[in-house]
Amino acid sequence: MASVLEVQELHVSYRDGEGEERAALAGVSFDLAPGEILGVLGESGSGKSTLATALVRLLAVNGQITRGAVLFEGKNLLRAAPEELREIRGGRISLIFQEPSLALHPTMRAGEQVYQVLAAHGTSGKSALREKTRQIFAMVFPEEAERIARSYPHELSGGQRQRVLIAQAVACGPSVILADEPTASLDPTTQMEILGVFRTLREKLGVAMIFITHNPALLAGFADRVLVLYGGRVVELGPAKVLGEPRHPYTKALFQCVPAGFGGNGNARKARLPAIAGESSVSALPLKGCAYEPRCAERMDVCREREPELLSVNEGHSVSCFKYEK
Amino acid sequence: MRLRRSVAKWLVVLGVLHGIVVCAGFFAPYDPAEQDRKSPYLPPMRVHVVDEEGHFHARPFVYAFRLRQGTFDQYEEDAARSYPLRFFVRGARYRLLGILPSRLHLFGAEDLRIYLLGTDAYGRDQLSRLVFGGQVSLLAGLLGAGITLSLGLCIGAVAGYYGGWRDDVLMRVAELFLALPWLYLLFAVRAFLPLTVRPLAAFFLIVAVIGEVGWARPARLVRAVVLSAKERDFVRAARGFGAKDVYLLRWHILPETGSVLLTQAAILVPQYVLAEMTLSFLGLGVPEPVPSWGNLLSSLQQYSVLVSYWWMYLPTLAMVPFFLGYLGLASSLQERGPAYKIERRSLGSLT
Repeated sequence: MASVLEVQELHVSYRDGEGEERAALAGVSFDLAPGEILGVLGESGSGKSTLATALVRLLAVNGQITRGAVLFEGKNLLRAAPEELREIRGGRISLIFQEPSLALHPTMRAGEQVYQVLAAHGTSGKSALREKTRQIFAMVFPEEAERIARSYPHELSGGQRQRVLIAQAVACGPSVILADEPTASLDPTTQMEILGVFRTLREKLGVAMIFITHNPALLAGFADRVLVLYGGRVVELGPAKVLGEPRHPYTKALFQCVPAGFGGNGNARKARLPAIAGESSVSALPLKGCAYEPRCAERMDVCREREPELLSVNEGHSVSCFKYEK
Repeated sequence: MRLRRSVAKWLVVLGVLHGIVVCAGFFAPYDPAEQDRKSPYLPPMRVHVVDEEGHFHARPFVYAFRLRQGTFDQYEEDAARSYPLRFFVRGARYRLLGILPSRLHLFGAEDLRIYLLGTDAYGRDQLSRLVFGGQVSLLAGLLGAGITLSLGLCIGAVAGYYGGWRDDVLMRVAELFLALPWLYLLFAVRAFLPLTVRPLAAFFLIVAVIGEVGWARPARLVRAVVLSAKERDFVRAARGFGAKDVYLLRWHILPETGSVLLTQAAILVPQYVLAEMTLSFLGLGVPEPVPSWGNLLSSLQQYSVLVSYWWMYLPTLAMVPFFLGYLGLASSLQERGPAYKIERRSLGSLT
């Protein structure tokens, strides 16, 4: 199947206070099939949010895409004209920010905010757009759609705000949704609810999704494929099965940091949760060699000499680690 | 939006002061252009409640003036007859707010023109000229501030929102304007224009000139607010949903400049009133016989007036309560902070 979104060798860097360029993404490549959910997994500073914002060119002012290409339906977004890009944002690709309380206009009613997304892309008349807004609200909020449409963001709960953002995101029927930690600020029950909403939307609208999170537990049973980011590089990319049998030492270590859940026996729950040694700030990255090398439990000499390349270990499963080099 | 008490207090003060000037016809006892050639440079009349014999009168009264023996410009009170003050009397015709014809005045007296602030060289009532003059001066200040703020808002918004070379060019020009001595700039602009213009044309001319030189400071402030506002999460989120620039500016970004603009307005109005006064004082503003606060002071350019007739200075006192009102409003507005505060958190730092 042809991919709807293809990212090739994306490099992004931020200018710091002293005017020096600091790389945040170093050659990220992947593709996204229509209707697919790609989970992007990574810890703080791995470049997750940078990835989401770079794809639609919404980086912070000090950020810059230095190299690479983002092909959306065959068109390179990095070369698109501003008006073309504006039409694509929200119309064909929607970006959901991680903090629903900050991502909504504080003095505008929820319904109005969804309506404005439609108005920015729609050509139809006002009443048609109002009707469409009502339909979208009814789809995202099974109950109380009318009341919530009339509310201001501060009158809504975190989960409801996130649903309003989702309503904005799907309003124009996009083919890709970029969700940047959409559940990070929500409690676990609401997280599950929101995941349910995403799942329904995928079934109803067939929209592909890049779902960014730091929590591997969320991706199980939700994502079709998983991409693991470390230090601005793809360390592992494969079908959701990866979660069951990780290959990269980092992915392995990461999964050990997830609590076993309520199913485990009492001893396991009392046991100390393992942590990955060292820290993951970008400034701690080695100048040469594998980004994960300083913290890796299975490091070899070659890890310090050059950067590993993404190697295919199985059908659709690739890992960037020298362990799998033949 | 709830008004803070200190803001409301200053608004009331300014409202009363401006109300007096707006309803000048009612508060001024006479027509500001009406001359009384027999009594030039008459000093302010004193309002008495106790007469020569020491009797108290509930109704205040004034005495007429007569020339002191052997002088030509020294006056003394003639206690032979007292003229009681009458309230809500009928006098000179005027149009309230320029529309409603009326003859009602707050006060007056029978058989005598009373001059509570004295008269000028033509025997015109200084009090009436002061109240009417406020209309010209304050309107010039308000319109000028309006022009400046609109210019500043547009330029600041473009510079802050679009950034890049537009920002560089606009801000360098702004610095140029900030460095210019505005008074000399006003002179220069005024010097280019014809010497004699009709009062109305002259008025709009100086308003335009005053309004256009001051845009740099508000533009820089607006730019700063826009710079921070456009990086807010909900603004970036809206851009992520394909919002147009005009929409973002109108609904997401410019509302945040409101408090800055209000504060600037409260600072600019008195500044511009003063600018109008300066120009009119030097004869470059609104021409006679239309009164303005600057015109009223222009006779002080003559040495004899400067040293002999102290009441000609009184118009300077009139602007004190106005300026205090505006600056008080500005400082209490500044305490207010923005209309709504959103926690500033950059997305990048949360990765």
